[in-house]
Amino acid sequence: MNAVALIMLSIGAAGFVYRLVRGPDLPDRVVGLDGLLSVIVIGIIVAAARSDNGSITIETVLVAVFVGFVGTAALARFIERRGS
Amino acid sequence: MDTFAEVLLILGSALAMIGGIGVVRFGDLFSRMHAAAKAPTLALILVAIGAAIEIGTLLAATTLALVVMLQLLSSPVGAHALSRASRRQLTIPVDDVDELTRDERTDA
Repeated sequence: MNAVALIMLSIGAAGFVYRLVRGPDLPDRVVGLDGLLSVIVIGIIVAAARSDNGSITIETVLVAVFVGFVGTAALARFIERRGS
Repeated sequence: MDTFAEVLLILGSALAMIGGIGVVRFGDLFSRMHAAAKAPTLALILVAIGAAIEIGTLLAATTLALVVMLQLLSSPVGAHALSRASRRQLTIPVDDVDELTRDERTDA
């Protein structure tokens, strides 16, 4: 049953990677990067739900969410200043 | 209770997959941002509830609650900043009249 969730997450991550690679402009790539990090966070939580020491693995997710927000905000400021 | 957590994990993963498909299939930037900002947030909430039931320790539950609160705070802010920045750079014609940029670019 765990494989079903991880396969679906892989399909979603493939969609975000497609937008990250092929996105015609910089904001599209930022959308792909942000969504990809969200999918990775969800995948870590799903994997931690099955492992024995899940409550320790969960702590990494906290850092990943915060890094994702800082990255998106910094890239948004960069787009706003640089132009397209 | 175990099957309930399992259903929540699979439902959240399905929602993340739908977000990924939407990011591929939608036609312009703001539609893609709509798919990329909201679907993974609800997916994270569902998966976090499922994992908190599945792991069953207080430490995991509080950490997951903190993760969900942080995502709920940061995801709209990041999406808003990104859409605002790209809206000012791109010119997207809607019905010949671009209502959103009119007061910023011609009146100011």
